[in-house]
Amino acid sequence: MAPPQVVQLYKEIQKVFVSGNLQQTGVLLTKLKIGLTEAGLLVPFGNPDPQDLVLARDILEVGAFWSIRTKDIPSFDRYFSQLQAFYNDYSSILPPSPREYPLRGLNLIRLLTQNRIADFHTTLESLPLPADSLTANPYIAHPINLEQWLMEGSYSKVWNAREEAPTEEYKFFVDSLMGTIRNEIASCEEAAYDSLPLKDAATLLFFKSQNELLTFAQQRGWQVDLTAGYISFAKKTEEKVEIPKEKLISANLQYARELEQIV
Amino acid sequence: MADVEMKPVDDKKEDEKPTESEKKPVPLTPVAEIKANVALIERAVSTLEPRFTHRVLRSLAQLRKKLDDKVLQDAVQEVYSTDSASKRALQSWLPTVTMDHSMDIDAATIPSRQVPTEPVPEVEIYFYLLILHHLLASPTNHSKATKLAHETVEKIQALNRRSMDPIAAKVWYAVERTYELGGELADARPLFLAGQRTAALRHDDETEASLINRILRSYLHYSLYDQADKLVSKTTFPPAAGNPQHARYHYYLGRIKAVQLNYTAAHTNLQQAIRRAPPAKTAPGFYQAVHKLSIVVELLMGDIPERSLFRHPVLEKALTGYFEIVKAVRNGSLSQFQTTLSRYAAQFEADKTYTLIVRLRQNVIKTGIRRLSLSYSRISLRDICVKLHLDSEEDAEYIVGKAIRDGVIEGRIVHEKGWMECGGQKSGYGPEVSDVFSRRVAYCLELHNQSVKAMRYPLNAHRKELAAAEGAREREKELAKEIQEGGDLDEDGPDLGDGF
Repeated sequence: MAPPQVVQLYKEIQKVFVSGNLQQTGVLLTKLKIGLTEAGLLVPFGNPDPQDLVLARDILEVGAFWSIRTKDIPSFDRYFSQLQAFYNDYSSILPPSPREYPLRGLNLIRLLTQNRIADFHTTLESLPLPADSLTANPYIAHPINLEQWLMEGSYSKVWNAREEAPTEEYKFFVDSLMGTIRNEIASCEEAAYDSLPLKDAATLLFFKSQNELLTFAQQRGWQVDLTAGYISFAKKTEEKVEIPKEKLISANLQYARELEQIV
Repeated sequence: MADVEMKPVDDKKEDEKPTESEKKPVPLTPVAEIKANVALIERAVSTLEPRFTHRVLRSLAQLRKKLDDKVLQDAVQEVYSTDSASKRALQSWLPTVTMDHSMDIDAATIPSRQVPTEPVPEVEIYFYLLILHHLLASPTNHSKATKLAHETVEKIQALNRRSMDPIAAKVWYAVERTYELGGELADARPLFLAGQRTAALRHDDETEASLINRILRSYLHYSLYDQADKLVSKTTFPPAAGNPQHARYHYYLGRIKAVQLNYTAAHTNLQQAIRRAPPAKTAPGFYQAVHKLSIVVELLMGDIPERSLFRHPVLEKALTGYFEIVKAVRNGSLSQFQTTLSRYAAQFEADKTYTLIVRLRQNVIKTGIRRLSLSYSRISLRDICVKLHLDSEEDAEYIVGKAIRDGVIEGRIVHEKGWMECGGQKSGYGPEVSDVFSRRVAYCLELHNQSVKAMRYPLNAHRKELAAAEGAREREKELAKEIQEGGDLDEDGPDLGDGF
């Protein structure tokens, strides 16, 4: 059984977290983690009591949400990897947590914003849901749709979806996601257009004011013609195709050596 | 080579003949087959040639279906003539069958076949393997099978004989099957991991290969791609392992790589798996599974699989859903793709390819755009939107922009006029040609080297050659001598002739 002071703190943290006092939650979390470690529940081993496990899981879940609210992504990462043990390995003896899928979804979005697409798919693949019912779960469907739109280039859909987040926490990732999208769009524009009117460029990049656009253009090194109201993209000069001499020579030597062995 | 290959077959026949005449005239009863196999195993152990054991194990699949309590009892009776501890141990696993009419035959045969020495331990393990397979055939014996599986594995590890490795590898398969039938595949993982470590330390290639595949399978069964990937990166698959194990390993690798979006590597692995797999007719299940995955991966790489693949007799039926998907991707029609996907969703889900196929959506769009760019020199975004069933012109603009950046098409967007201008195609002759060429040459050389390595040389065959070489040298010496003395000989020649 968990020590009484841990249970006491656990009750306290739930109240504090619901009230939205982030600083207080952080302090309590540190205390609780020490308490859990002493009770051998933070990284559970052996056959602990299911009730204690639920308690530990709840605390970690609070921690994960708290890290997102304080925008501490590495901390979220740590909490989530600790939670995975509870979600995957103890799933048979624990009652399912209502916060499991929101957190899994958040983790997926985090991978997406960090552009870790391979990890995103690996995680998606290992979800304990049948693949064709993934889209039925609102928390999981959201990142899936985002990924699909990002990949096919329907950026306006991503932009519009930022308001449709299934829980509050998802919105914390929207800003960084928008940054990713803008850079994507900008690189597409550089390749696909010769020049673009300022106004249209602003709409394409989802900028509300011209100033924002101008600073962005400066970052990417675009030539802005303010009087005519045009952005022109520096044409990348066709790099001259060089014959890879060294590579060819070494390949030919390799063939000669192999042929020698055969004959 | 040829005569060495032939010998065991002759042996087998010799072995069978007496048993056949002793028993009923039915050609090759299961008991006789087991006995022949036992002889082969003993031969393998005495000549240190694992080939014979492999031959025995190849017949396992057919033999498995013919097993029953009586056959096993009889076989044990006949092989173990003396009443030894291992015989009693083996018999304890078999229910005492009412030895009715066959009893007298057995009694008659045992004295006639004199087996003076105890069979080698490999034979014992082979029997355990057979019993295990037999127990697995009926669900009621499950707990017994689990117990037997554990004991057999312990016995193998205690004996630690290299000549036993091929049989041990098969036993591990049976162990996996036991756990799987009990629905507790995950629980077997620690056992497998421990076994794999031991096998690696003992350079027991067969068992190690088999166990790595067991573990990978178990990981993939529970969709633990992270762990599977780590296992692959931490272990080296023994190159000496047999082709079926290699095929399986490559298939699992292909799956892991495909999930991680590394399609080129996945494709290479799946190709290997297909090449190394047993012929389509003998192992249709594996053949179909690999092809399903390989088709999806090929599509994801932007290629279209060959049409003839879908007419293959073994694959035709299994691949219908995939064929429809390929058609949809080829046409670049999103709506056709979506309907096909929802129609065959259950099948794709069962094949575990659903998430991969969902990823194809972007490829469908790309193919669509490419087709448009080939047939039009200029097309309005609105028309693109209509033709590709996109939701809005805005989307179309972004999608085309992305396609241009990704190098799918050559062209540019004129925003003010709202159209896309398509540029000419690239000539397609650059340094990448030499890359492709060198890749192919490398493949051919690799194939050659592999086949040289795979050649086998019969023991002591070089003696003959040595003798021949010796003879040749002798002749050469004589010849040299003759040539040396040649001048004299020529001069002497007529004289000699005269003398005669």
